[in-house]
Amino acid sequence: MLSYIVRRLMFLPVVLFGITVLIFALISTLGPWTRVATFIPSPDAERHVDLEAIIRKYNLDDPPLKMYTRWVNNLLHGNLGWSQSSHMTVMEAIKRRFPATLELTLFAVIPVIIGGILLGVISSVYHNKPIDHTTRIMAITLWSMPDFVLGLAVLMVGYGVLGWFPPGRLSAWAELEVLKESFRSFTGMHTIDSLLNLRFDIFWDALRHIIAPVFTLACLWWAFMLRITRSSMLDVLNQDYVRTARAKGLAENVVIKKHALGNALIPVTTVAGNMLLGLLGGVMIVETVFNYPGLGLLTSTAATRLDVPCVVGVALFYAIILVLVNLVVDLLYSVIDPRVRLE
Amino acid sequence: MKSKVWLWVILAIVVVGAAVLIWTGQKPAKEVEVAKTVDGASFNPNLFVYVGAGDAETLDPSRAYDTASSEIMFQYYENLIAYKEGSLEEFVPMLATEVPSVENGLISADGKRYSFPIRKGVKFHNGAELTPEDVEYSFERNIFADPVGGPMWMLIEPLFGKASIEDLACEIAGVDSFDQVDEAALLKTARRVMDAIEVDGDKVVFNLNTAYPPFLSILARNSSWSSIINKKWMIENGAWDGKAETWTQWHNLDTEKQVLFEKAMGTGPYKQVEWDRSNSRHTMEAHADYWQGPAAIKTVIVNNGVTEFNTRKLMLQKGEADAIYVPVENSPQIEGMEGVTLIRNLPRLNNVCAIFNQEINAVDNEFVGSGKLDGNGIPADFFSDLNIRKAFCYAFDYDSFIKEVVLGEASVPYGVIPQGLSDFFDTNSPRYNYDLKKAEEYFKKAFNGEVWEKGFKVTLVWNIPNTTRKTACEILEHGIEAINPKFQVEVQGMEWATMLPRRREGRLPMVFIGWLADYADPHNFVYPYLHSKGDFMSFTGDKGRAFAAAQFDALINAGINETDQKKRIQIYTELQKKSLDQAPHLMLYDAYDRRVHRDWVKGFVFDPICPAQYDFYALSKSLD
Repeated sequence: MLSYIVRRLMFLPVVLFGITVLIFALISTLGPWTRVATFIPSPDAERHVDLEAIIRKYNLDDPPLKMYTRWVNNLLHGNLGWSQSSHMTVMEAIKRRFPATLELTLFAVIPVIIGGILLGVISSVYHNKPIDHTTRIMAITLWSMPDFVLGLAVLMVGYGVLGWFPPGRLSAWAELEVLKESFRSFTGMHTIDSLLNLRFDIFWDALRHIIAPVFTLACLWWAFMLRITRSSMLDVLNQDYVRTARAKGLAENVVIKKHALGNALIPVTTVAGNMLLGLLGGVMIVETVFNYPGLGLLTSTAATRLDVPCVVGVALFYAIILVLVNLVVDLLYSVIDPRVRLE
Repeated sequence: MKSKVWLWVILAIVVVGAAVLIWTGQKPAKEVEVAKTVDGASFNPNLFVYVGAGDAETLDPSRAYDTASSEIMFQYYENLIAYKEGSLEEFVPMLATEVPSVENGLISADGKRYSFPIRKGVKFHNGAELTPEDVEYSFERNIFADPVGGPMWMLIEPLFGKASIEDLACEIAGVDSFDQVDEAALLKTARRVMDAIEVDGDKVVFNLNTAYPPFLSILARNSSWSSIINKKWMIENGAWDGKAETWTQWHNLDTEKQVLFEKAMGTGPYKQVEWDRSNSRHTMEAHADYWQGPAAIKTVIVNNGVTEFNTRKLMLQKGEADAIYVPVENSPQIEGMEGVTLIRNLPRLNNVCAIFNQEINAVDNEFVGSGKLDGNGIPADFFSDLNIRKAFCYAFDYDSFIKEVVLGEASVPYGVIPQGLSDFFDTNSPRYNYDLKKAEEYFKKAFNGEVWEKGFKVTLVWNIPNTTRKTACEILEHGIEAINPKFQVEVQGMEWATMLPRRREGRLPMVFIGWLADYADPHNFVYPYLHSKGDFMSFTGDKGRAFAAAQFDALINAGINETDQKKRIQIYTELQKKSLDQAPHLMLYDAYDRRVHRDWVKGFVFDPICPAQYDFYALSKSLD
């Protein structure tokens, strides 16, 4: 098992190398005059600017290979570069933004997995009954709903009409509290930090802010989880051993819980891993709608402003997470299904 | 069975925990200022929250050259003088105790020496007292830093007659490139700068290169590049040490490597608590020792990270924001909102034009079709014909554009100087109007009738996501195509990064661009718009620059060297008229601004040159 993990981790640098080469190859198609646009936020901002001096200063006219070796050299010194679009080093930007996205994802993943599996099981058990149809229609509707439409609708109702779930991460007063020296930041995730500081008022405030984006994300991914669980359950329920279990007179819920569910969960685990990645990466729109400053917002701003160091940095970061999550998923297989042995 | 007991225990803990949380959670800790609820919106008189979109680039006075940055710096820093309320020509003292004039002897008779007596008893945010040395250091430090793309040319030009400190060093050394300047010349450059700005007793003296009428405007409040900083604090924090020998170590650094990039230490009414760059949020606190008395509102949060308008609107509705940024296209959604004030048609010093490129780079250029006057393209010098330019100016439907696109929040320009500076020109002079008959007349005269006979095809490019400019292109297209079926205009959107190299290479037939004043003087408009070395004429090719040199340069130079106000007005009136007669650009509109805040915000006064949407010091919150 350990050697398996080590072997998998050894692949990491290879993956990273591939990704960075790919990104730099893409960037090399852009000339220095395109790249200099990063430093001029808009067409009207180019005033009294010597663009050539900027190009010289930041070596934007270097050949791609030289740029790449310089970048790798910096990376080896632990320097991912400066992000022009977020006004801080790329490392700092990721470090500050990731907790927000992680918090959002963790909060979303729990209801998605539990709710999705539960609904999927119900749906398959009551195959072709009204309850199955209802959940399926609901699933298809939510799955086909664009995230920004659903997000805006949730914001309008949850904040505009009811006033319960405001956008952002914290209310103004709570932000000021968090800034104080007496409040210690442990994880950057406000819900957890506030509990550790025994500040339940801030916890409550953070919770209020996170519910709407989490609900939006959950709605979008429930459907996905539900459909996978349902089809995999249906498959298993038609297997011979399930019929045998029923034939020997076991109660239906024992058949489902003990015999069917465990086997049905294997494909679910695979997609759950991917879903986690999808959630981490796909929060861009939801973060924008709810003004939730996480990695998604960072990436989209960086990409539209051609902030190369930031885009590359975030891509690297996601690549590392991707490899790690996939590894964890593989490890989980062996836990769920004892037949799987990792060597 | 045993497992079920555990389940119950866990459940009980969760329920009790949740109850405790809800109970404690609803009441924030005592020291927190609690907002009360007014008509469903939360109201806290000690906290002001402004929610915008788009954050500051830096807080360094030597580098900041964008509105978002100066908006924040405006609250932290102060200048020697300020504009008198409601005026763009008269000043009042600020950190200086008197406004220099020839009459009071603080400006020399030749207009080249300005003295400012420095106010005593002014405290910086760290408690240090303001001295004349701080003022001297502030200007010298910013001039030495002079980073590429920064605003320091505005001070370097009147003081040394150069565009940058590097140019000055090159001149002193007699070389072409800054890399070639030797140590001795660098030291001479430093001495030259340090001689130009001197402490004389309790005064600070500026020695100008030539008389420069807008000099006071360049120093006045709202000009972040003339902010006064604290010398001792700067040196302690690793900034320039004040020595002539060392300035190059701090010259043209990367923005983020300057001490003032994210910190601020001024004398302004608010002091910095934090700039949370990952959330684009600035937190500031009233400066208790502020020399004009502490601000009414204790804490201000400027949250520039809410890019989605609907979110901003909801925050305003709920009272979580006291004021928000509203783009012109969204202002109808604010109208009639309960508890919210919308102030429209504020004349800002900002106008927008489409530059005619008089010498298009036509080699492999997709925007000029065939590149010939054969009905399928335009020749490179198409816009060097005055008739074409005038025809385009008459073919734009100004009124529809202003009514439909900017929803009435703009006006038809009198020329390159916007209406906020109407003291400098005649507001009874004629303007362009939408007149297809006249346009037809000019098209028939252009290129000896060839254009009318053969027709043309041209592509206009707008920058994504600026849909206002897209519609401007389309309105122009509509006007021109209605005149002659042989006239074809195409409209194409382009991302800024894609557009920049094309604009740079002179490929765009027309460049859509706006100008926001650096300081309130017509020179700041005629120079970029009309001077052969100005920013806008640089997009018109050698032909355009030669045209500008012949038509405008002499007048512009006369205007900036004239100290008599009446004569200046004459010169700018003439330039204004000529800018329409010669039509180097199609002047699209003079933009208006708007403010949106809760009714409980009191004390707002509009200042056309103020970079900040609000001067928080002037504001208070009250429900009366």
